[in-house]
Amino acid sequence: MAAPCRRMASRPLFQFLTCFSRTAVGNTGFRQFSTASVCRATLQVKNVTERASSPWTLMAAVCLQRLPVITADGSPIEQEFKNMLLQMEMEKSVMSDHELRLLDDAERLRRKQSADYDSDEEEDHGKQDILLGQDLEDAWEQKLHRFQPAPRARADVDEDLTSAQRCLADLLVLLAEQQVGDEKLWLLPQTQWQEGETLRQTAERALASLPAGFKATFLGNAPCGVYKYKLPKAVRTESSVGTKVFFFKAILSDSAPPKAPNAPLLWVKKSELQQYLKPAYMMKVDRFILAV
Amino acid sequence: MNPLLRQLQMSVTRPALVLNQALTLCRATPSIQHPVWCTASANERQYRSMPTHRIGRWKYLVPKQAPKKKKDRHKMKPIIPATNRAYGTLNVTVSGYDMTMVEHYSQYIHNLCNRLGVQVAESFALPTKTTEVMLVHEQGTKMEADAVLKTHQRVVQMSSLNAALSSVFMDVLLKNQPEGVQLSVKEQTEADYRARFKERPELLGLMAQINK
Repeated sequence: MAAPCRRMASRPLFQFLTCFSRTAVGNTGFRQFSTASVCRATLQVKNVTERASSPWTLMAAVCLQRLPVITADGSPIEQEFKNMLLQMEMEKSVMSDHELRLLDDAERLRRKQSADYDSDEEEDHGKQDILLGQDLEDAWEQKLHRFQPAPRARADVDEDLTSAQRCLADLLVLLAEQQVGDEKLWLLPQTQWQEGETLRQTAERALASLPAGFKATFLGNAPCGVYKYKLPKAVRTESSVGTKVFFFKAILSDSAPPKAPNAPLLWVKKSELQQYLKPAYMMKVDRFILAV
Repeated sequence: MNPLLRQLQMSVTRPALVLNQALTLCRATPSIQHPVWCTASANERQYRSMPTHRIGRWKYLVPKQAPKKKKDRHKMKPIIPATNRAYGTLNVTVSGYDMTMVEHYSQYIHNLCNRLGVQVAESFALPTKTTEVMLVHEQGTKMEADAVLKTHQRVVQMSSLNAALSSVFMDVLLKNQPEGVQLSVKEQTEADYRARFKERPELLGLMAQINK
């Protein structure tokens, strides 16, 4: 339909200042997002007097993604190669200050223990005699033992499809079970386009209409994919030939909101999408999900 | 003409002058007489008669460039304003504690821009910020330096980013962001540029005195 596209073209561009940080501290499982979007001018919707009515129903769907939190483990070859490179780097590297200090201490100890040791000849090292390099190392070992890193993968959480914390090394996409026509299907959350709003606003509405309150940042005003569905010939009429679904990408920015239990929502990896989506739909969705 | 040609074909070693005359006479027929054979005297410019002379000249086609001055104050590249279709000058700042990770990621971003056809205006590093972590002893008020953390920053500045491409670009960047590295995308401002330079307090003092 020409109308929404024209409106989208006249919509001024948002200036955005975005800051994404990946740190272990804070919300585990989600990137910290801070966006400051500044609207350059108020949205002016030009009133279109004449409109070509189209037989297609327009819908907008949101592809909400939870980005991976940790790097995936490499394949065995990658691990081996990494180890080899680390070994080579170590062998080629120069000694650090601490290592030189350890060597000095060992040398001094050896000299002290020899028979003809004259402490007056020794240069004045001051504090270094009190705190050896070895003592520092022991103190650091102690600290390391006291530190417990969070587990990288937990089998029980990985199995739970409704949890957004599963499979931290993979990209997850949100699927919702919605009523389409007269059957319930698993698909990306979608809703129908209404007069006077842009497709992106429709997608935002689709996200807000989910039982769980997710906070997401939408990537751009343009859709990333489209799916056309023609109604079977029996049901087709002059005014409704089928539906066109436009997909918009969004990145999940907030963690675990209070969600209603038994909400038909799933977080699935790209490899698991095939089990839930219809083949034709899956083909279109597959194209814009950038993941392994 | 003919008897001369026959003479040429029969005898291979001919004195130079005779050969030249033969060449001028039978210019129509392509002769494969090698010029090196001719021991030309300095007065005679052999090459002018060569058919390939002056082929390959290109320096006259290059537009004349003014000679570059040695001392050139670093001027800021003009900030391109954002339009309805594209963002203006954007600064993608990558920062973190691990220098190799930060540098590799910024290199990745730069290469990605080259691949996607996004014009990269500048790619520079901001000064490293050193943070000392001081721990207070359990007994007493003395503080001891526990660790020294260095924050490295690399900036990739791009001239303009198409709005349609920006969503794909950001998506790829976010999906490939390594752990421990912060990514920040901001628009370039004059203040950002000024922040890179050191202040000269004596100059400021003198200027203030002049303006008084």
